[in-house]
Amino acid sequence: MADRGRALVRLVALVAAVAVLPLFVRPVVAAEIWIFAIAAMALNLIFGYTGMLSFGQATFFGIGAYAGALMMIHWQAPLLLALAGGAVLGALTAAVLGYLCIQRLGIYFIMLTFGFNQMFFFIAYKWTDLTGGEDGLPGVPRPPLALGPLHLPLNTATRYYLFVAVVFLLLFYAMKRIVDSPLGLICRSIRENPNRAAAIGYDVKLYKWIAFTIAGAFTGLAGVLYAMMYGIVPLEAISWITSGDIVFMVLIGGLGNLYGPLLGAAGLKWLSEAVSVVWQRWPLILGVALVLVVLYLRGGLVEALARLREALARRRLRPRVREESA
Amino acid sequence: MSVSLLSWAVLNGLVTGVIYALTGVGLSIILGLLNIPNFAHGALYALGAYFLYAAAQAALGFWGGLIAAALGVALLGMAIEYLGLRRLYGVHPDYALLLTFGLSLILTEATIFVWGPTGFTFQPPLMLAGGVNLGVMVYPKYRLMIMLATGLLVLGCWLFVERTKYGAIIRAGIEDRDMASALGINIRRVFTLGFAAGAALAGIGGALMLPVRGIAPTMGVEIMPVAFVVVVLGGLGSLPGAIVAGLLVGVFQSLMTALWAPGADASVFALMTLGILLRPQGLLGQR
Repeated sequence: MADRGRALVRLVALVAAVAVLPLFVRPVVAAEIWIFAIAAMALNLIFGYTGMLSFGQATFFGIGAYAGALMMIHWQAPLLLALAGGAVLGALTAAVLGYLCIQRLGIYFIMLTFGFNQMFFFIAYKWTDLTGGEDGLPGVPRPPLALGPLHLPLNTATRYYLFVAVVFLLLFYAMKRIVDSPLGLICRSIRENPNRAAAIGYDVKLYKWIAFTIAGAFTGLAGVLYAMMYGIVPLEAISWITSGDIVFMVLIGGLGNLYGPLLGAAGLKWLSEAVSVVWQRWPLILGVALVLVVLYLRGGLVEALARLREALARRRLRPRVREESA
Repeated sequence: MSVSLLSWAVLNGLVTGVIYALTGVGLSIILGLLNIPNFAHGALYALGAYFLYAAAQAALGFWGGLIAAALGVALLGMAIEYLGLRRLYGVHPDYALLLTFGLSLILTEATIFVWGPTGFTFQPPLMLAGGVNLGVMVYPKYRLMIMLATGLLVLGCWLFVERTKYGAIIRAGIEDRDMASALGINIRRVFTLGFAAGAALAGIGGALMLPVRGIAPTMGVEIMPVAFVVVVLGGLGSLPGAIVAGLLVGVFQSLMTALWAPGADASVFALMTLGILLRPQGLLGQR
């Protein structure tokens, strides 16, 4: 019961954070935070919960972005259809690539995800008729949200932020259900001990493949949201630098914790926005942060918060403990 | 395709191929010995070129600069292992990967900070300027020197590892680090020196390519994925494998560029994924 109460408190805190975020950062940055949070929580499902470090999530992010953008540009696809298109194509690509990648373990798995990412990057880079190559794919429209009688234009940054925020919260809830489900439990058992999970009778490869495909759908959808935000799909959307960013968000936030990637995405995007205004050399700070996290804070921001809370609790407890021992 | 164009493509492929092999051997030593996929390898490669550039400016000349570059990158590698990676041997290897990734960002930014974001060109030493008439075409002398020098260096590395006492220690460390340290080998020192040697090879590779490709802060980001392709294709921890794969990838890439340029880069990675899926132990690997 106490667990349930705490989970509810956290959920309410998240909704409140989503509501007040645009008061602190520009709506565009706020929207970017939740878009990358979607991609980061998808990676968290496969890296944090299932134990597979994918260094190629930009493949699905980029393919989703290009697919949604092209559907809207050439076929005038409505908003929700474009989002669904990105998610489906992300899932399909992840299903095919994931099937190949999970045949291998450890560094080979990482290199396969990375290798496929590079392959698709160079395809996007050279296939300029379709993707615009290095210049990016411009002219991505932002159709209104039409749902039955509902017709909401998303033409301002604030309106688009609200739309992204709602989509994010829905996807977060879906991810929470997945992680709390038996599937999530099996994923965690695979992370802890794949041999034992197989010995109990679970088809380890099947569940890895399911997790990878689900993550592909989430990431593809995030890509479409990203394409609509600036009205352009930059080539960077599919480059391994973006894959790296997504990995850092999960790592800096906290692995295998539902809220970790959200903290990581928010922290990283907010910091990059704040820093790049005054200083061009943002990757330097990112590199230093990464080194410090890896050396001293492997649980990420979530662990930092937990440590802080513990320290506070200890401070509050100390006088009482002394009285008892006296 | 004419004969001269074809032989031009093959020779260029061999030049980049020997550099890939050299960089790949360095990466392979680090990966096999320390079990760390060194994502900073590209940045170390770039630093080698920058060190040579700086040393040549400081009147050390090309050859002195080359030695200074190798030593500089080796020292840096030693520091990285001693101060950073050493703390991570007890935890999951993914963290070492992420540490080297963070270091690669820091090093790349540092080069931009010191030498600026734009690239430079660099002339080969006078004695290697000009070309040699090979019958079907005239080929730059400097590039032939790269092939020869790097070929000898790679061969030397391989002989060192296969034929000397210290090489045996390295092989023992790759094979089974616990057993090696149980036999009285100071495995920690071997790790530090191994990382330094691997880094130095990357640095020499970058420095040698300086007169061919010039210099730019992005050169590390470009070679790093290819070095991984070479190591994975050759077989993790297999030095002869890395050499063969390096030459193969270099020539393959060069021929693809001549035949169908838009697909050249993507096909290198297609080659790797195919390699991992069809022959996971690598071309010459046993594991």
